[in-house]
Amino acid sequence: TIGLQVSSGLQDLSLRDRGGRRRDFHDLGVNTRQAMVHVQESKTGFSGKVIKLTTNHFRLTSRPQWALYQYHVGYSPEMEARRLRSALLFQHEETIGKTHAFDGSILFLPKKLENKVTELFSRTRNGEDVKITVTLTNELPPTSPTCLQFYNIIFRRLLKMLNLQQIGRNYYNPSDPVSIPNHRLMVWLGFTSSILQYEENIMLCADVSHKVLRGETVLDTMHSLHSQVGEERFRDACAKELIGLIVLTKYNNRTYRIDDIDWDNNPKSTFRKSDGSEMSFVDYYKKQYNIEISDWMQPVLISQMKRKRGNIQGSVALIPELCSLTGLTDKMRSDFNMMKDLAIHTRLPPEQRQRELGRLLNYIQKDDNVQKELRNWGLSFDYKSVSFTGRVVQGEKIFQSGTMFDYNPQFADWTKETRGLPLIRSVPMDSWLLIYTRRNYDVANTLLQSLFKVTPSMGIHMNRPSMIEVDDRTEAYLRVLQQRVTPDINIVVCILSSSRKDKYDAIKKYLCTECPIPSQCVLARTLSKPQTIMTVATKIALQMNCKMGGELWSVEIPLKKVMIVGIDCYHDTVSGKQSIAGFVASLNQTVTRWFSRCVVQSRGQELVDGIKTCLQTALRNWSKWNKCLPSRIFVYRDGVGDGQLNTLVNYEVPQFLDCLKSIGTDYSPRLTVIVVKKRVGARFFAEIGGGLKNPPPGTVVDTVVTRPEWYDFFIVSQTVKNGCVAPTHYNVVYDTSQLKPDHVQRLTYKLCHMYYNWSGIIRVPAPCQYAHKLAFLVGQSIHREPNLMLSDKLYYL
Amino acid sequence: MDKNFQEEFTQIVKFEPPLYKQRYQFVKDLVEKYKPKKVADLGCADCSLLWMLKFCSCIEVLAGLDICANVMKEKMHTLSPLPVDYLQPSERSLTVTLHHGSVAHKDPCMLGFDLVTCIELIEHLEESELKKFPEVVFGFMAPSIVVISTPNSEFNSLLPRVMLYRHPDHKFEWTQAQFQSWALETARCYDYSVEFTGVGHPPTGMEKVGFCTQIGVFVRKYPQTGESVQSEKPMEAVYKTVFKAVYPSLKDEKYLQNAVINEVIFTAQIIKHRLMSKREEYGDDPEKKSKFQPSMDSFSDYFGKLVVEKNMEPFVSGNEVHIPLTTIFSFPKVNRLCGTFEKLCKLIAGKVTLSSDGSAVMFNIEHDNEEN
Repeated sequence: TIGLQVSSGLQDLSLRDRGGRRRDFHDLGVNTRQAMVHVQESKTGFSGKVIKLTTNHFRLTSRPQWALYQYHVGYSPEMEARRLRSALLFQHEETIGKTHAFDGSILFLPKKLENKVTELFSRTRNGEDVKITVTLTNELPPTSPTCLQFYNIIFRRLLKMLNLQQIGRNYYNPSDPVSIPNHRLMVWLGFTSSILQYEENIMLCADVSHKVLRGETVLDTMHSLHSQVGEERFRDACAKELIGLIVLTKYNNRTYRIDDIDWDNNPKSTFRKSDGSEMSFVDYYKKQYNIEISDWMQPVLISQMKRKRGNIQGSVALIPELCSLTGLTDKMRSDFNMMKDLAIHTRLPPEQRQRELGRLLNYIQKDDNVQKELRNWGLSFDYKSVSFTGRVVQGEKIFQSGTMFDYNPQFADWTKETRGLPLIRSVPMDSWLLIYTRRNYDVANTLLQSLFKVTPSMGIHMNRPSMIEVDDRTEAYLRVLQQRVTPDINIVVCILSSSRKDKYDAIKKYLCTECPIPSQCVLARTLSKPQTIMTVATKIALQMNCKMGGELWSVEIPLKKVMIVGIDCYHDTVSGKQSIAGFVASLNQTVTRWFSRCVVQSRGQELVDGIKTCLQTALRNWSKWNKCLPSRIFVYRDGVGDGQLNTLVNYEVPQFLDCLKSIGTDYSPRLTVIVVKKRVGARFFAEIGGGLKNPPPGTVVDTVVTRPEWYDFFIVSQTVKNGCVAPTHYNVVYDTSQLKPDHVQRLTYKLCHMYYNWSGIIRVPAPCQYAHKLAFLVGQSIHREPNLMLSDKLYYL
Repeated sequence: MDKNFQEEFTQIVKFEPPLYKQRYQFVKDLVEKYKPKKVADLGCADCSLLWMLKFCSCIEVLAGLDICANVMKEKMHTLSPLPVDYLQPSERSLTVTLHHGSVAHKDPCMLGFDLVTCIELIEHLEESELKKFPEVVFGFMAPSIVVISTPNSEFNSLLPRVMLYRHPDHKFEWTQAQFQSWALETARCYDYSVEFTGVGHPPTGMEKVGFCTQIGVFVRKYPQTGESVQSEKPMEAVYKTVFKAVYPSLKDEKYLQNAVINEVIFTAQIIKHRLMSKREEYGDDPEKKSKFQPSMDSFSDYFGKLVVEKNMEPFVSGNEVHIPLTTIFSFPKVNRLCGTFEKLCKLIAGKVTLSSDGSAVMFNIEHDNEEN
């Protein structure tokens, strides 16, 4: 990225990413707004009611005319070791001052030295005279990207001074952990922090972060896996459960990612040390850390090291017994009870969240050393968070088959309102299969009766299905599918007795690729409670209808001839082999029908080439449906990681344009590309009745905490039952629509109403959520591109 | 006083492993041999010796002292507990403290140590400081063992590029005779015995120059006087504490209780899980249910064989699962942590839901199936 001069060495002073990678997490230096003339003056909207908000941003203040002075430091004769270079330079603290940051060649000072070039003389301990030349190379204004990086480094220094423990990118307080013994989890409270140039000020964005740690070693986990699955499936189970997890070691403060398990080696195996000698792990840990490894039969974990500048790639061997697990596995995430127990501690409501944050600022304010460091650099913080106003745009009207209704804006949900109304378009279930095991015969009948009760009011015509009993084995299900599924079947419903993934995967794989028919899997347990069966049956009926190409409701879309695209990615963290991009594009004016495709890419390949093909077929399909090509295209691009914005802007967007050009020389639709980000540090709180509450759905923020170099805004579209609502960040990186920012914001919010698996407003525009669902299904279960016959249906819901 | 740095030129003579490492290893071996509980390193510089010593399981108190606060601060965070130390608190307790001050001054925080190390320290002392040094270390601190290492000037002729001293900050470098006479005199004066050794062997044929680093190991001849003597003369603290880290330890009731509760609930969960999956397998057939025996064989290879007595059987009654504490106590991990059954009961009292008579951990199973 342009303009980043802080060397990796300096970054090392306080922050080291796992594997020593250096990334520009904040996408500094990507200036997309300058190319969009219509938002030069203003990028703010106007509609809606004004709301008073506070946030988790704190102003950074510096004295007037503050600057950071950057010096180059040269040695004659040349000195190699960084420690030595530092030691020699710091002999002259009376000249350069006590406050400095030095990486071995670049020196930052808060004050200007008397001369542009300063020569200093030091003597090494073996009596060699060294001339040190300190040359001023840059006077950095507070807003320069280098300065911003520098602030972040200094801030991390402060957190370290407060005795917080660094794990990964954030800092945590280990002295007051919350333990959840039911699941052997421990939660540490910590903080994420970043300092950036926002609209008018440089601010610290700080948030409470929770680190989930596990009170067991990798070896413990292996033992319990062994007892669960037995010898035969043990290795597979270990690979599934452990690969991709981050571990902490017993002897140093580093985190490692488990990339592989080496079953051929054990602690008695030897490795080559940096000096070339061979040593066994047992001896090494005994000698180096006085640690006795008790289990000599355990395998060895392999972690790939990604070094700076990418050219040195090595791997590290770790001993399971000496590694502690951090974070959650997918299996744990899907454990409802565990997540519920965790949420009590991690989902802090607004007031509590701000209180915890206040504690951090209090530490900073109270700590003498921290204050001294800040003073020396001429910096200070506003300890009161920034307040400003946002807007709450009005709720949408929901249309469903000739009727129109409002929803309660507090709940952002219209489940009640929609009950008993016919769907916009219902697909009849003339011919369908219901497959179940003998044990679930009663459950299957209950489902059927309930469906017969709920479907008529929705306007769904349903015949009796072919009821098929199978053995509870994957092969049995597959055999039935092979024998009984014919092209005239509308949908296949399978009742599964357990949430075992292999059966589900096999059914989905077969019905999405070899034999493209919509399918619905239902867990028997879900249907076992009489008091909820009608609600469940309603949900299933709606979901099945969408899967067959039905339409549920719509909102008013004022733009004509518009195609909306959603893209999201799924990265297979377990085997690390595949990336999947889900691509969804609207097909009709009401944005109720979608074309869906995905791109399956192996490691190393760029997803974007596949996306180009998707866009081409989407346009072809749109023109088939509408007898013309769209004149406006909106792309909502989710799944862009921190630091990848530059690549997206410079590589992916031009590819979209190329693709449009290839359609025809006279075809030039208006294109808008919006990067959607769910994981952002910003939190907003509404000041209501003297307390802090979550802002209501429809809250739009496009001032103060947005970035001056971007055309960006935040929308809070969903509601949460507990904890703090997370705003979604929208960054319009390319826009020839000529639409006012207000209209882009409104359109975006409207699209958050259109996700058919949830009769309420969701966190992202529906096409992003559809794309996510599709990519997830393919990545988790199917592993290859589904049959294109299904592409005009939401079969993956 | 940067020892590692000093080796950069000593290595030219090629000591393998480097000389500073040999000195640290010497101290480590000494620790292994005498198992001291409290160790102080005088002139601890960048804390690398302290860092090595923190892994020695016999040590419960580690202290460092240096005249230069900056050099200590540079790497002192390496002495902090690691995340894992909090996750799995160790049996032993450990406190690490760094003090800023001079070995020429007495400070009560240095009392009561078993081992005091002065590695490459004395040659940095001014004459006046060196004079006070024996009284402070041997007279005042009076640990059972003192280790002092210093350069052997007779070896210097073998080191290229050494003009006067090995380091510009050295105030003197002694021959073997000089060091030994100083050491013997000091030992005599304060009732210690001393033995001489060293690290960094001279090249063959040059044996008479002696070790590159000469070391004196002083052992106190009189028994420990106890703390009483010290308390008679209350003193003012003159050192400034720059760092203090208390490691989480199971000796601390708070961590022990936490660990026990964690282990008890986790163990109970496993038993419950087994019990429930068995029940599910047998369905609701009452006949089979009555015959049900908790089988722990499948995971006993990990948790150790269990003696299942009649009163130790977990059972289900209505919506509640009862897992007797005696069963939980028979698990090796719980057993090891608590030691006695009474201790177990005491530690979990009020923290874990128990049956009315307090003999079993209780879970509600209704609760589990909610909203699944």
